[in-house]
Amino acid sequence: MKQGLMKWVVILGLVVTWLAVCGCGESRAPFAGNYRSETPFANKGYIKLFLKENGEATWKLEQDPRELKFKWKVEHGQLFLYTREGAIIVATPTEGGRKLTVDMTGDWNPSCPINHCITFSKVAGES
Amino acid sequence: MDAKKTPEPGESSGLKLGHLGQELDVPKGMRVVSQGETPEFFYVIQSGRVRVFRETEDRIRTNLTELGPGSYFGEVALVTGQPRSASVEAIEDAHLVRVSKEEFDRLLDHNPQLARHIIQQLANWLVAGDGRLESETVRQVKMRQISWFDYALTLGLSLILAVVFNLYNDNQIALIHGWGGKDDIQKITLTQGLEYLHQKNAVFVDARKINFFEMRHIKGAIDLPVVFFDLQYPMFQFMLTQMGASKEKPLIVYGGNYSRRFDVDLARLLKEKGHEQVMVFDGDSQGWERSFPVMEKKGKAPGAMPLGLAGLIEWLPVGIFLLLLIPPVRRSPYLSIWCRLILGVIFIEFALSKIMRPAVFAMNVIDYNLTPAWGVNLWSLFLPWAELLGGLFLILGIRTRAAATIIGGMNIIFIIGLVNAIFLGLPINCGCVGEVGEPVNWLKVLKNTGMLFMAIQIFLYDRLFVLDRGGFVWRARAI
Repeated sequence: MKQGLMKWVVILGLVVTWLAVCGCGESRAPFAGNYRSETPFANKGYIKLFLKENGEATWKLEQDPRELKFKWKVEHGQLFLYTREGAIIVATPTEGGRKLTVDMTGDWNPSCPINHCITFSKVAGES
Repeated sequence: MDAKKTPEPGESSGLKLGHLGQELDVPKGMRVVSQGETPEFFYVIQSGRVRVFRETEDRIRTNLTELGPGSYFGEVALVTGQPRSASVEAIEDAHLVRVSKEEFDRLLDHNPQLARHIIQQLANWLVAGDGRLESETVRQVKMRQISWFDYALTLGLSLILAVVFNLYNDNQIALIHGWGGKDDIQKITLTQGLEYLHQKNAVFVDARKINFFEMRHIKGAIDLPVVFFDLQYPMFQFMLTQMGASKEKPLIVYGGNYSRRFDVDLARLLKEKGHEQVMVFDGDSQGWERSFPVMEKKGKAPGAMPLGLAGLIEWLPVGIFLLLLIPPVRRSPYLSIWCRLILGVIFIEFALSKIMRPAVFAMNVIDYNLTPAWGVNLWSLFLPWAELLGGLFLILGIRTRAAATIIGGMNIIFIIGLVNAIFLGLPINCGCVGEVGEPVNWLKVLKNTGMLFMAIQIFLYDRLFVLDRGGFVWRARAI
């Protein structure tokens, strides 16, 4: 009985480990860094997007004192930004990760809808 | 049972076989007698050991006994003339004496002591068989019994884990959204709203997600999804400026459904931003659809994002569903094991995709528009844990019938939600295994139907590899 139990526990451990590994997403390192929107937003300057490797992210408009915080992960080569309220923003890296196409619809679309799309370029610097 | 042990080992000589029979060497693993075959011989074991067992059509094997030197087997079938009732195989190299039916009959005719002994053994076997039958019946009844305790255990544990985990989760959500919030938003009737519209004296703001806004909205309204408020508010301000609207301009916020009043949430946020006159419609949050001129177009389903392995695993229930159409396979307890394993992995995967970010899942639940507002967050916290425990219980063989019932129940709820969303043309994500890019369609219904049938199969036929079932079940009826 104990042997049987151990067998099941081992199988379960493998399954859960496998699922947990799959669920953690991919490495954030290639996409971490500073990004800046290519066009001004809402007449308040450019958006600065800072993706930290620890999964935190900040979003700041140049002429807006507020800094918005997100969490983010990488999955299937795409970036998922999570808002506090439960919305998801999907960002697709292009040009080898030098650009991010951010879909502001809150859904995944095969190509970013023009009216709801913001393109960011990677810039040097820490913050 | 077609096998006996003589009172004392080595007493085979007491059978007075004399010159009867033929000596036989049987290597380990060889089957001497097969269940169902026509009997021709009676066997006496001189050395070595054999195992007596029965096997059902679906290859479930029951070991009956093991016999050693001095024992004999094969006499029952010879006496009754019926096919062999069990099989016998050598579990170590054995030396047997094989006696033909004619010789066996002669032996009985001239050896009343042996005949009496065989009758005695047969009688003992019948008594022992009755006892075994009774204990097996009791075991089967216990196995098939489920009690409310099983459900209370699974569901109660899920609820407790959900609440405790939420306390320590970075992405914590309130158990009940908006509980205790002040009702400080001005409410107007639809008629008053129409007056504002005709006088062009207010800005109408749609609080729902973009997909819903694009599907249907009040003519001239601005979209400001409450879930993107922080991000989109600067753009909203910019649009108001372009329209020449100051912060004193009345804002009429609408949108929301049975599961969440996005309009009230957004109105509060706008008031916090300094907008002085923010109003929402009183009563039915969706009444504007009937009373106001609206812009409409067909709902656009989200794109289908490749789900990788999770997407492939989701197809397995459809394959199993096809297997269930074959009657002999349908009843197989081995199929139950596969169903448990597949369903378990799928539901654990479902759970892990939701547990960490309940707010995301709550938005999916709201989109379906079937859960009352007070229950959305509770359901969003509870469901992934019920999925996880249900999946684990199925894999481990704990309370599998209860776990299958709960998972089957979930599938029924999912199917209702999916079919409802398809008929209403809701532009929403399934929220099944992925967070986005998982459109609601008939394939999802088919997959969930496959899983429902798997759960039913487990409920009806699962009986192998279960862990301590019946060990600590509170029983509603005595056996």
